[in-house]
Amino acid sequence: MQFIYSFQSEWLKKKRNLASWLVIIGGFFTPAILLIYSLVYHSKLAEASVAPNFWYRLWENSWESMAIFLLPMGVILSTSLITQIEFRNNTWKQLHTLPQNLTTIFFSKLSVIIVMMLQFFLLFNIGVYLAGVVPCLLVKDASYPKAPIPFFIFLRDNMFYFIDCLPIIALQYLISLQFKNFLVPIGCGIALWILSVAVFRWQYGYLIPYTYCGFHFLENIGKLKLSVPIHVLAFGWFVLFTIISYILYITKKEKG
Amino acid sequence: MISYCIETENLSYKFSESEPVLNNINLQVPQGSIYGFLGPNGAGKTTTLRLLLGLLKKQEGTIKIFCKEFQANRIEVLKNIGSLIESPSIYAHLTAIENLEVLQKIYRCPKSRIQEVLDIVGLSKTGNKKAGQFSLGMKQRLSIAVAILHNPELLILDEPTNGLDPNGIIEMRELLKKLNAGNKTTIIISSHLLAEIEKLVSHIGVINKGKILFQGTLDELRWKQMHNSVIYFDSNDIDKTKEIVLANGIIPLSSNGQLALPLIEKEIIAKLNKQLVEHGVEVYQISTSQKDLESIFIDFINT
Repeated sequence: MQFIYSFQSEWLKKKRNLASWLVIIGGFFTPAILLIYSLVYHSKLAEASVAPNFWYRLWENSWESMAIFLLPMGVILSTSLITQIEFRNNTWKQLHTLPQNLTTIFFSKLSVIIVMMLQFFLLFNIGVYLAGVVPCLLVKDASYPKAPIPFFIFLRDNMFYFIDCLPIIALQYLISLQFKNFLVPIGCGIALWILSVAVFRWQYGYLIPYTYCGFHFLENIGKLKLSVPIHVLAFGWFVLFTIISYILYITKKEKG
Repeated sequence: MISYCIETENLSYKFSESEPVLNNINLQVPQGSIYGFLGPNGAGKTTTLRLLLGLLKKQEGTIKIFCKEFQANRIEVLKNIGSLIESPSIYAHLTAIENLEVLQKIYRCPKSRIQEVLDIVGLSKTGNKKAGQFSLGMKQRLSIAVAILHNPELLILDEPTNGLDPNGIIEMRELLKKLNAGNKTTIIISSHLLAEIEKLVSHIGVINKGKILFQGTLDELRWKQMHNSVIYFDSNDIDKTKEIVLANGIIPLSSNGQLALPLIEKEIIAKLNKQLVEHGVEVYQISTSQKDLESIFIDFINT
């Protein structure tokens, strides 16, 4: 029960925080670009709306920039911003003198970040749907997409992308909890992301925990064939980073 | 037997291998008291208070709060403590009400309590203004509201008047007095200025270089003040005056122009005066110099 109260408390703290806006903006950004694109090039829409792979192509296009760039960067920023709330406001000491376990504090904060990610996926999916439907309703010659929405594929992909960004969340969380300076987690995150892009063609690139979202996308569009179960690896990294982060957090000598 | 709200035994702490910041601190804060924890900057006040709240990991000694060992009963003890350590700890992007809601979720106190504490600290009309836009005084008052939200039995306040104007200091003092008198809240308040808390506290602990130099009631400190008083005899013949004083079994403290004597009863002063006159000494003035509490405090930290 204490965890729920703690989670509610943590959830309140993110109000008006840039991380909350990032989730909303990030969720609708790519779908909005696609929506505008469809409206600008509306002549192609009538043909596209009757195509049997309409939704799948839209889904693929939506993930193109999202999987490789926007999602990892969004996760890096959001995670760092959430932990930065306590550093910036000098409130760690207040938080650590509240009657709650350190374990509860650690996991409720992490849960807020994870739930925010789920929120992002939900908004992104709504955005993709709107990006598919709205232009068809606005453009005279186009009709409501004939093809059925491939719910299973969407759901499966959502789940995989979510698992693939978990190691980024955990490592960013670990770094952000240790350093007061906001630039440290951001700098590390960007450096690791650049590294992940650089190793896309390397045979052992899967060892870098920030590569999995990109790998999954490349595998989806048929540009990469992976011999390792990247989602299992992603989850493994997540568990490992979370355990290390937890140990470092509870054994910290100074708690504010 | 006095019941102590906070009791530490041989509490020692060092940040690195260097000299200890705290050295065998035996703090005793009686239940229902307002305990002024005095010491110059860097004396070890904040470190002690942070140890009491579990913000620093205890290295040596024991800490008992509400007669319970702190570490073993951390959550239970913290339920009844409100604190303000150094600068205000508030979420700048949230309003006063939202800041209190964050804590209300944890303390599970009634929502109506938020308005109550805002009324108490005079911040009920801040509306949608974010705490980051508050003046330092308002932030400090919001921090007090945060500390008293759950009606704690013990308030630990580290220099709560820092940055407050004289009016703000008076308001804060009255608020703390009210809390202590009305709710029987025990308050430990640290400061480096005796004058600032002299009118507020019932007990005082003086710390310097990590050691407790004095601990007791304000009356005990005042008695010490009396004890440190000096009586000056100004006469035309200092040697003769000294001779008569010594003949009465009193050892003068100094004789630099005037003869300084330790505090003696007024009847003895009259007797000495009479004897001096009888021996032809002209007594110009008999005066008393009392050390104020501030100079006693300075003496403490300079010894």
